[in-house]
Amino acid sequence: MITDIYYVIPEIFLSLSLMFLLLLGVFKKEGSTIVYNLSLVFLIISIPLILNVPSNNTTLIFNDSYKIDYLSNFVKTLIIISTIFVLLTSSQYLKSIKIFNIEYPILILSSILGMMVMVSSNDLIVFYIGLELQSLALYVLASFNRDNILSSESGLKYFVLSALSSGLLLYGCSLVYGFSSSTNFSQIGFNYDQSIQGITFGMVFILVGLAFKISAVPFHMWAPDVYQGSPTSVTLFFAILPKIAALTVFIRFLYSPFLELIDQWQSIIIFLSIASMLFGAVAAIGQKNLKRLAAYSSISHMGYALAGLTTGTNQGIQSSILYISIYLVMNLALFSCILMLKKNNKYHESIEDLSGLSRNHPLLAFSLLVVLFSLAGIPPLAGFFAKFYVFAAVIEQSMFFLAIVGLMSTVVAAFYYLRIIKIIYFDKEAEKFDTDHNLGLKISLTITTILILIYFIYPNSLIDFVSKINLV
Amino acid sequence: MTAHAFFFYFFSFIAVVSAIMVTVSRNTVHSVFFLILDFISISSLFIMIGAEFLGMIMLIVYVGAVAVLFLFVVMMLNVAKQENTWFKSSTNSAHIPIGLLVGIIIFFEVIIVIGGWKYKPDLTSKITLSDITNTHSIGNVLYTDYIHLFQLSGMVLLVAMIGAIVLTFRKRDGLKRQSYFKQLARERNDGVSLVEVKSNEGIKIDD
Repeated sequence: MITDIYYVIPEIFLSLSLMFLLLLGVFKKEGSTIVYNLSLVFLIISIPLILNVPSNNTTLIFNDSYKIDYLSNFVKTLIIISTIFVLLTSSQYLKSIKIFNIEYPILILSSILGMMVMVSSNDLIVFYIGLELQSLALYVLASFNRDNILSSESGLKYFVLSALSSGLLLYGCSLVYGFSSSTNFSQIGFNYDQSIQGITFGMVFILVGLAFKISAVPFHMWAPDVYQGSPTSVTLFFAILPKIAALTVFIRFLYSPFLELIDQWQSIIIFLSIASMLFGAVAAIGQKNLKRLAAYSSISHMGYALAGLTTGTNQGIQSSILYISIYLVMNLALFSCILMLKKNNKYHESIEDLSGLSRNHPLLAFSLLVVLFSLAGIPPLAGFFAKFYVFAAVIEQSMFFLAIVGLMSTVVAAFYYLRIIKIIYFDKEAEKFDTDHNLGLKISLTITTILILIYFIYPNSLIDFVSKINLV
Repeated sequence: MTAHAFFFYFFSFIAVVSAIMVTVSRNTVHSVFFLILDFISISSLFIMIGAEFLGMIMLIVYVGAVAVLFLFVVMMLNVAKQENTWFKSSTNSAHIPIGLLVGIIIFFEVIIVIGGWKYKPDLTSKITLSDITNTHSIGNVLYTDYIHLFQLSGMVLLVAMIGAIVLTFRKRDGLKRQSYFKQLARERNDGVSLVEVKSNEGIKIDD
């Protein structure tokens, strides 16, 4: 029991630092800057703590309800690193719209604590508590700019719809528990020979709840409104972190308790994947707001990530994880660009504001060009490789229909990405934007753009890490 | 055994019907009444399967706190602009009959289930094999096998509290607050000054 604690040191460290920051924020007057910076320091410290946890073999702790393996450690590191970048990019934005409060980094920390519990869960109860911990913090973050009517609306919308999906998910969990008489993932896998229909029924409900969390079609309705209404820095958080966590939980569910039921879930995931790819691509065409566009583009990207999971092979899981890693780098870059569109302390987020950006701000325009080409999946940028791995894994299993639909929707999606590039480079120029961005924003945009650009030179750097994930 | 089955179906029927009534009734106050009835029927079901701790917690938390809170909120909001207030118009008050009906059903349920649980042990089926009570067995695992879940639930509650404060707390300017330290640290010299007053000249205060 005591040795179990050794494996959860990162989680314990994060919760302790969260409570420390809360106390500091309460007792120190005007302490938002120091709390913000300290939370960055704590996040950086937690990376070596995670890497320190041995992950070569799968370890089950706390009565087999908590799983430490290579996948969980990889995803946790990914979550922490991207949170560091999210915090780096957003401080200036928060200050200028006057929501730079102590609670902001604290809520972010508690949300990623929930995600870390989610990705390590090996039990329905642990999984559900982690999920609630992360989404409860997200509801508050969505309506953090509470004087703005759009922000409060998005928070309320997200809360109501998410509570509904949590209800469905819990119903599924209770069905699975009822039919397999265990909440433990490894036990569920053993027990379901007699009652396969009941388990399938519960599994479908669980999948619906999870599909809602990663906003896969047809459970995507909340995404555009919430993305548009929330403060941009929170939208960035929404677009990256909950998706990594929920996709990892998808892998945990599909590949440990329900692997034998692949005939039942494969067609469901294929449908979710195809619908998300097509809908995301088609619905984004008419959008005028960059954040709404990002929402639709994230819907279609989730479709590609799910396509990797349909295969039921290790290669599929690895391609999915690779896809989501590259997706998070691209989204970081895209939102860093959006956060740079500031004129007289007012942030602009409509596509027309980008008109003729290349003449006034050639560097920003170039990064946007790289990001959009990469999102569209044009070689030799990183986004191309992400799609390539997924389709390679799908074709390996001779699922040609899925691959063809995926490729077709890439072509449709390329249209709206290219339209933005046309507006940036060939339309008549608009007013100049401010250039007094803080260092963190510049650094993260530079790093992410360079990563996207040079990924093709040494693609094995990421593949080496991911190829150690073997679940099947 | 037949008595057991009979009461099981009796409570389940009331639970299902009142759950339906929560959603279909047009009056929000009636909905809350039926919600309370639903909770009580479900807690009776819990007691019947021998989970008396869960049943009682359900009564205390859901009926005692949550549902009554709902009722207060609904009555304060006055959502549907209900015309007939509680005791004003005795001719067509729709609240009192329904409230009475729900109350009577609850009363009989409690009599049946508490009486059965106390005086007729075979009415409830025991699920525990050993002699220890429900409360004991929950206590045995809560702080040992499920300690991580217990702590994580604490984190969830902490986040809920932070969230509620973030979304509702406003700093207002020009608000006069009582400061105990200032009050207690005040000495006689700060408040009172003795002035020599010359006759026929008076004194000017607040100069």
